[in-house]
Amino acid sequence: MSTAKKNWIWFIALMLLVLGVGIYLGQSRRTELGKSFDYSLEDYRKVDPALIRYTEVDRIVPNIGKLSALAVAPDGNVYVGGENAISIFPENRRLPVNGTPTCIAVDDAGTVFLGVGDHVEIFSKDWKNTAWPSLGEKAYLTSIAVDDWYVYVADAGSRRVWRYKKEGGKPLEIGKKDWANGVRGFYVPSPFFDLAISRTDGSIWVVNPGYHALENYRPDGMPLSKWENSSFMIDGFSGCCNPSHFALMPDGGFVTAEKGLPRVKIHNVDGSLRCVVAAPDQFDDGVLGLDVAVDGNGRIYVLDPSQGAVRIFEEKK
Amino acid sequence: MNKNTKSGRRDFVRGAAAVLIGGAVLSAGRSRSPRLVWQIDPAKCTQCGRCATHCVLAPSAVKCFHSYSICGYCDLCGGYLRPDAKNRNTGAENQLCPTAALQRKFIEMPYYQYTINEDLCIGCGKCVKGCSVFGNGSLYMQVRHDRCVNCNECAIARACPSDAFKRVPASDPYLLKSDQERRIV
Repeated sequence: MSTAKKNWIWFIALMLLVLGVGIYLGQSRRTELGKSFDYSLEDYRKVDPALIRYTEVDRIVPNIGKLSALAVAPDGNVYVGGENAISIFPENRRLPVNGTPTCIAVDDAGTVFLGVGDHVEIFSKDWKNTAWPSLGEKAYLTSIAVDDWYVYVADAGSRRVWRYKKEGGKPLEIGKKDWANGVRGFYVPSPFFDLAISRTDGSIWVVNPGYHALENYRPDGMPLSKWENSSFMIDGFSGCCNPSHFALMPDGGFVTAEKGLPRVKIHNVDGSLRCVVAAPDQFDDGVLGLDVAVDGNGRIYVLDPSQGAVRIFEEKK
Repeated sequence: MNKNTKSGRRDFVRGAAAVLIGGAVLSAGRSRSPRLVWQIDPAKCTQCGRCATHCVLAPSAVKCFHSYSICGYCDLCGGYLRPDAKNRNTGAENQLCPTAALQRKFIEMPYYQYTINEDLCIGCGKCVKGCSVFGNGSLYMQVRHDRCVNCNECAIARACPSDAFKRVPASDPYLLKSDQERRIV
């Protein structure tokens, strides 16, 4: 072999080596992140089908934007709040409101109590309006409930529950830290703070969302009991504010709605999981504000703001 | 000195003056147009992980930012803890961040403060995803301009699938979620 040929072979071999090293270095700088960088919630979104004991039977689609509040009145009418209005079903009556109600409650007489930002507004049956004074600059009302004597308001801004007499006046403060009486205070990292009045004894159940707890208080603010379960699993609550909403079943069970992993479940009185009403794959990703309500027959109403509808679930036959 | 030589010198002086004036006008114009730098729009970012792999710097100039005014200071933090964490503590097996760049400190029951160790953060966005899903979205990605070399054609911007990279004025180089964070960066 001539020297010139040998030189060419050496030259080509060298070039191939340089090319190979170049490709190797180029690829190694662009390697994808390893398995430890994966983040998937697919396993948590899956729910055992045997646990899902409810099915969606109907939908109410109100003609209002930015759905924000839901209540089922004692007479069975469904009240849906949104941008500058509330709608009443089944008659589909639309009534104007100054602002967007963040929560609704209706008493036996048909009087409607709305939380609108930092204050409560009351609408009589003929839609005459009274507004109670603001609860302060920090106030942000996220839930309201009414019985024969009191109106309870959950204020996520000040992390308090306020108990008004039905005629108004100065409210009683519930939830201020009081270790001597076992009140640890409400921990509300984001504006999801719900309450409901027990159907049996007039006590109130309040979500303590940062603790993933449901706490029971006497009307005077003294604690009675609580249950909590922080977990990413189906039987618990995860994230920084869950359950975001809840309602009480006629038998005392809790219908809970969550954000993050959007799902609706029923827990027994002791907090154990009874069943699932709607699994995460039945909701749009990232949906917030799944308010829930229950009627006297145990039908569950779920306000789904991303679909602009109230979804009605019934137990499977 | 003849007439031709005189006119040649005059032409040269005129030409040089024109070049000087033109240059001055151009440079004045240039100095008025703002210098631009790359930044991530948090509203568009999908935390795909390419910020960690496509930056010309290693580790990436993209870091996790924390908006303290938005944070809930939660114990069960979706940005800090793995979804399958056995315990709510600082054990490595419980932490979501593979490089332990997100660190937490107990404040008072039940509040914890979360901070980012930028020397450890590689900009993968895993904690941002966890925070967005379960929390208030106080964690988000930003290009750190004390590290970024401001390539003319940013390699991450080219690879970004959600078009979250954009040019912003160098005088205001961060797209912060809260104005309260301006005093920190």
